[in-house]
Amino acid sequence: MTSTSSSLKPIIEARDVDKHFGAFHALKKVNATFYEGQVTAIIGPSGSGKSTFLRTLNRLETHDTGSIKVDGIELNDDLKNLDAIRREVGMVFQSFNLFSHLSILRNVALAPIRVRKMSKEAAEAKALALLERVGLKNQAEKYPVQLSGGQQQRVAIARALAMDPKVLLFDEPTSALDPEMVNEVLAVMRELAHTGITMLVVTHEMGFAREVADRLIFFDHGTILEDSSPAEFFSNPKHDRAKAFLTQVRHGF
Amino acid sequence: MNWTKQHPGLAMFAAMIGLLLFLWGMAVPLSWAPDPIGQAAQQFAEGTRMTVLLTLISGSAGVVLGVLAGLGKLSSVPPLRWISEFYVWLIRGTPLLLQILFVWLAVPTLLPDSMQISDFACAAIALALNIGAYNAECVRAGILAVPHGQVEAARALGLSPFQTFVDITLPQSMRVALPALANNLASLVKDSSLAYAISVVELTMVGYRVQAESYQPIPVFVTIAVIYLILTTAFTSLTAALESQLDVGRKR
Repeated sequence: MTSTSSSLKPIIEARDVDKHFGAFHALKKVNATFYEGQVTAIIGPSGSGKSTFLRTLNRLETHDTGSIKVDGIELNDDLKNLDAIRREVGMVFQSFNLFSHLSILRNVALAPIRVRKMSKEAAEAKALALLERVGLKNQAEKYPVQLSGGQQQRVAIARALAMDPKVLLFDEPTSALDPEMVNEVLAVMRELAHTGITMLVVTHEMGFAREVADRLIFFDHGTILEDSSPAEFFSNPKHDRAKAFLTQVRHGF
Repeated sequence: MNWTKQHPGLAMFAAMIGLLLFLWGMAVPLSWAPDPIGQAAQQFAEGTRMTVLLTLISGSAGVVLGVLAGLGKLSSVPPLRWISEFYVWLIRGTPLLLQILFVWLAVPTLLPDSMQISDFACAAIALALNIGAYNAECVRAGILAVPHGQVEAARALGLSPFQTFVDITLPQSMRVALPALANNLASLVKDSSLAYAISVVELTMVGYRVQAESYQPIPVFVTIAVIYLILTTAFTSLTAALESQLDVGRKR
């Protein structure tokens, strides 16, 4: 953990988070605290629990035991708490999940209208500004199916930003993209990382993790094996599993 | 069909106007026809209006019932699931004619005298219950066809379960359910003829009466058949146009 973290405000606190899928033990008493403004890359082999952990943070998966606090609010069966947390936590999915029956503009404006009770005009003006930021203002009237994967993922980021979240969760945002589209999405994420928003990024993009992240977490078999800075992790991994993982993916950067 | 796909809004409008013009003005051309059709033109027109009214009322109520029962079958609350499954099982397993007779003859004996219902209402209730059960299966299939990622995205954005259903799940499920619902509506136009059994004077009943007076079944029943064909064509163009309207943004 970096030495400056004690002066930062914690925004997500996970304590002894445990999760089973049937007989499979997906998360084993995971402890982690994330701080405001921090960009954390979460890496690890497939099935190591990194995506599951990310999804428990806005309760797309429920945790069996342990506690998760987001911005001081306990994440549990209380729907009021859940709604409050989901308003503050945005999510970007591997498969984009844009609403296929709505135009790009409507995709971005829907949640502010429904959840923040913004007027249609204000929400659409905001949506257009966000679409401009991700370079897609001229596509606003199209439907998701008419856009490339990279463009869809940029819209998905704009859609998440429209709720002004304090935290953005990225679940393998570039894994479903053709190689030539990965960079346009990473460029948007890189720009975001400098704005001071808290980001948790589950990724296989080692270059991105090394260059943009403040902190790097390595997951294996449902536990956090290493929690350090990217520079430290990539130059001097402590565990044999992390070393083996790095050897496997080294061709990628 | 290509024309309705390119201009769904226009086609819907045209089909509706066409249907209204037909209902309103059909007595005029019919009255020019030779007897026995000409002299009974007014009766044919009234019977057609009755058939359309019966179809529209029980069809609309049937969609609402279908959505409720379809949702009920997918509910995580067991009693809701049992009620919906029982309803679909009961209605699909018994003849429509029996259901109409039951509502007409048995239900009034269960109601207090102050609450008696008209023959038309009996027919509409029985037909709505019947089509609702068939619609329930179409709606259920439509809802199951909506990818789970769509619901997750909506919930992650903070939309409530109800908002997610209204804004995301329902419109997307209708793209899948609509062709089957349209099929049920076309059946309903024709099934409404069974209301003749409880003395509702709809199109088939008119035909039966006119041929009984004139002893000329061939021209009378051919006219009735042509009117039914015009009605089902209008209803299917209406739903086909609605289908194209809902089809935006869909992969082909």
